[in-house]
Amino acid sequence: MSEPLPRRNWLLHGLQASVAATVAALFYPVLRFVWPRAATSSGAADVVAPFRPDELRADPDGSWPARFTFNFGGQPCMVIRDPDGKIRAFNGKCTHLDCNVEYRPAQGDIFCNCHNGVYDLNGRNVSGPPPRPLEAFTVTIRTPEGKPGQEEIVVSRSA
Amino acid sequence: MSPAAHDAPPQDEKASSAVKRFLFERLGLESALALAAKKRVPVHRTTLFYFLGGMALFLFGIQLVTGILLSLYYKPSPDQAFESVRAIMTEIEYGWLFRSVHSWSANLLIGVLLLHILTTFMMRAYQRPREVTWITGVLLLFIFLAFGFSGYLLPWNKLAFCATGVGTEIAGTVPFVGSYVLLVARAGEHVTGDTLARFYSLHVVILPLAAFALLGVHLFLVQKHGMSVPRRVAEKHGGEKLVPSIPFVPHFLLRDMVGWYLALAILAALAALFPWELGEKADPFGPTPKGIKPEWYFLAMYQALKILPAQVGGLEWLPGKTVGVVFFGLCGLVVLAVPFLDVGAGRGGPRRILNFLAAVAVVFFIVMTAWGLTE
Repeated sequence: MSEPLPRRNWLLHGLQASVAATVAALFYPVLRFVWPRAATSSGAADVVAPFRPDELRADPDGSWPARFTFNFGGQPCMVIRDPDGKIRAFNGKCTHLDCNVEYRPAQGDIFCNCHNGVYDLNGRNVSGPPPRPLEAFTVTIRTPEGKPGQEEIVVSRSA
Repeated sequence: MSPAAHDAPPQDEKASSAVKRFLFERLGLESALALAAKKRVPVHRTTLFYFLGGMALFLFGIQLVTGILLSLYYKPSPDQAFESVRAIMTEIEYGWLFRSVHSWSANLLIGVLLLHILTTFMMRAYQRPREVTWITGVLLLFIFLAFGFSGYLLPWNKLAFCATGVGTEIAGTVPFVGSYVLLVARAGEHVTGDTLARFYSLHVVILPLAAFALLGVHLFLVQKHGMSVPRRVAEKHGGEKLVPSIPFVPHFLLRDMVGWYLALAILAALAALFPWELGEKADPFGPTPKGIKPEWYFLAMYQALKILPAQVGGLEWLPGKTVGVVFFGLCGLVVLAVPFLDVGAGRGGPRRILNFLAAVAVVFFIVMTAWGLTE
């Protein structure tokens, strides 16, 4: 600007700055309010599955029961028994777009219905769009003290 | 064509004016600016009254913003409504602020609307050609009373539960259709979760849509007809056009803003010093809590229904509450019809009967409300 600012402009700028400050002051609590609450799910590193190892078997129609997937810190923890009898646990969220995957005992794979993503029973992404393997959890079979024959499945986050 | 001020050659244009130029050319903002530049507000003894409409609009804006925010956490079901409002008050950051401001602002808004309508009546601003402006204004007052009544139930506390029971019961005494009104209002014979869902829908969908529609007409008419000048003021200056006035933008708008800042300060102080109570969770089978009374703007009616006898004149077919409800309904119709009842308005004739009725109504409202509050 070649001309000097008219003195009155300072008043105008002061007013504009005040209004902007007000808007900012109002926006701050709004932002804090809208921001989600701290997660209420437990951050425990390992949990006992709500079913016992000897219950793990496919339904008569060959499908894997949904009850073998439980809430592990807000994520679906899918427990499967592979054809060799080994118990494995995965985070059931597909690494592509967060859909919940499904164990298909007949096909011997883990499948995502959203975009036909296929994982093998080690959780490795073998075909379709998933970019990464499923997150695998560590499975420990434990017998509680004084309760022989009542084995539990303990699932832990891999360190 | 854009006005001369925007015809600067593009090469020495600043970025901001280039944006301006872009928008003006495409949105036709010139006409909006021309309208704003043309709008003027007359200055006289009662100019202060012109601020009430803008104040109501500002408070409605506050209600919209805080209401939308509350709806992010509120859950309209008997199992969760109370708990979700408690979480808003205790767990969610600044939730106490938004809920308290929403409740306080609702009360201020009703107060401002009552003053707006009263001062409009005093200035006789409803006369030709502003009858429809008046009618939409009165309907908006009814809508905001319904906002208040429906919003009151949402926290699902004892007071809210009882107030809804009583309020819908009163609606149920309307002759002939009352029992159907009650059934539809409560979504059944009693206040239940369905009532809550219904009131929630009313409060956040139906009433806002109705308010927007009416407000659109109301504001359009205010722009179309300009500010009304009281006849005596116009005569003193030798005609309505000769009354001194100030431009709406920026002179009046800046004065408006002073009021809005004041309202904001008052709301913040009220919310901080007197956070809105939550009370105890509603218990459909528990006794009505002691000293139950509605919000102050329904208190006069509530108090009047209290003193009416069970039967008027000992006539069994004439319950006192029916007489009261019909009477208040008629009052509402009279208020709506004021522009047409004031037959002498056009020639500046006296307005004795309406003035008398208005004075009686105001005194009745104040006395009954004060009585209700101190009881």
